[in-house]
Amino acid sequence: MPTREPLHCGVRFCGGCNPRYERIKALEELKSRLNGKASFSFAEEGASYDVLLVIGGCPNCCASYEQYEAVRGAIKVWDESHIEGASSKIEILLMEDETSGLEKNL
Amino acid sequence: MLMTGDQYIESLRKLNTRVYMFGEKIDNWVDHPIIRPSINCLAMTYELAKDPQYADLMTAKSNLTGQTINRFAHLHQSTDDLKKKVKMQRLLGQKTASCFQRCVGMDAFNAVFSTTYEIDQKCGTNYHKNFTEYLKYVQENDLTVDGAMTDAKGDRGLSPSQQKDPDVFVHIVERRADGIVVKGVKVHQTGSINSHEHLVMPTMALSEADKDFAVSFSCPSDAPGLFMVYGRQSCDTRKLEDGADVDLGNRKFGGQEALVVFDNVFVPNENIYLCGEAEFAGVMVERFAGYHRQSYGGCKVGVGDVVIGAAALAADYNGASKASHVKDKLIEMTHLNETLYCCGIACSSEGYPTAAGNYQIDLLLANVCKQNVTRFPYEIVRLAEDIAGGLMVTMPSEKDFKSDLVCGENGETLGDICNKYFVGSAVCSTEDRMRILRFLENICLGSSAVGYRTESMHGAGSPQAQRIMIARQGNIESKKQLAKNIAGIK
Repeated sequence: MPTREPLHCGVRFCGGCNPRYERIKALEELKSRLNGKASFSFAEEGASYDVLLVIGGCPNCCASYEQYEAVRGAIKVWDESHIEGASSKIEILLMEDETSGLEKNL
Repeated sequence: MLMTGDQYIESLRKLNTRVYMFGEKIDNWVDHPIIRPSINCLAMTYELAKDPQYADLMTAKSNLTGQTINRFAHLHQSTDDLKKKVKMQRLLGQKTASCFQRCVGMDAFNAVFSTTYEIDQKCGTNYHKNFTEYLKYVQENDLTVDGAMTDAKGDRGLSPSQQKDPDVFVHIVERRADGIVVKGVKVHQTGSINSHEHLVMPTMALSEADKDFAVSFSCPSDAPGLFMVYGRQSCDTRKLEDGADVDLGNRKFGGQEALVVFDNVFVPNENIYLCGEAEFAGVMVERFAGYHRQSYGGCKVGVGDVVIGAAALAADYNGASKASHVKDKLIEMTHLNETLYCCGIACSSEGYPTAAGNYQIDLLLANVCKQNVTRFPYEIVRLAEDIAGGLMVTMPSEKDFKSDLVCGENGETLGDICNKYFVGSAVCSTEDRMRILRFLENICLGSSAVGYRTESMHGAGSPQAQRIMIARQGNIESKKQLAKNIAGIK
């Protein structure tokens, strides 16, 4: 059985001037939910990511992220309650990958 | 190349900056217990820039080099940059509860950049190129620069050229083919000792008669002829006490102001950005002041966040947090603090590009911002003192709390007595209660009150300076017309 490649997520935080929750904890929670199905690294210019995870501390979510390359766009989080939704979105992307892999094999 | 906090501190050791304090020359000023907390504050501006959690605010892409630089060395390229500047300052206020000193340089860069462009356009000088090359050097080496404006001023009723001693204003004493020699002092210089470089500007608008005082230049902090005298702060010698910790209130961080003396300092031509063009002195001053009045809508808000948190903790530790008047006071403190932030964000949002391309804040709103800063922190600390209670200024020392000296009839030590009678709510230890009250003492009337109170009053210009600008920018005639229109007056 082929091993699925984890989705590679670039992480960009807002600057954290007045965050309403612990942004780092939120990232850890997301990692835990995905249980290794996605890999995370701090976004760097020149690198390519499957998806960009933008973590803001408030609804303004003012982090700049246009400078980063992400093939499948960005997922924005600015509240603890968004972690579940972000996890689901990444799971959906992974399922899409599996489906497209099966179609190719057929 | 971004430096780490440790690299910044080590870079200071390589300078031969001449520092005096308490009548003595201080050779190892980097490790001096009175000075070091202010260096730690500046180091934080480097540390956070390296941390992905804060990099979005702490760094920017240089329009001059294309490289990622510390935002403190950045020329604002948009209103978004102006807003992020304010947010960065709030963040650093939260992390240090002190003045972190690097804003004066950033505000000077932006003021001198746009002003030199306009001088060159009118006068055919070469100042803008000089300054742009200098700023590239600052950005590439991630330097801290003291933006130095305030002169000693002598008799306030006289212009610089009318003063009995012209040295009370920094001025040109000699013009050479390869540069100029300057003499005078800059007072209240925030972070000057902790800066690699000084960027000097005139202190006020000047007339043609005062053209020798219309001078802007940069020089290293250890330039021959340059030295500094440390400004003492309330309760500063607590930092010299053995094992000082709790009684300091803020052991790690603090602010710094010093007298900077230019005792016939030579400045080469390439480091000159204004040299006699008196009509532009006022422009440079107004722009620097505008940026710096915006700054206070960020840094003081961050410190205010810590003060509000400390007051709330004091209420918890006193067992008073459920009292409705305490809750209401915390609401009032928050309202005042966020009003300042609103002003900082508003004057940034209404910014506009200068002819040189960098962005300027809205001058009216920046002056309104600073005018509020001259008042609201005072009310915030008044409310904090109200919530904390008198113990914040009557408590025995840390040494008493930790003393083994037997003084009670039943063998109780001095420490036992202090810990017994200063106990508060069960949610905290007596030491934690003492710590939060000492923090409030420090910020309300100790060494940090320099930054949070009097600097709020006079830094970036005293209240009357803002009122003059508000009067100029207030658009009263247009408001009269509005009233006439509504009232049917022709």
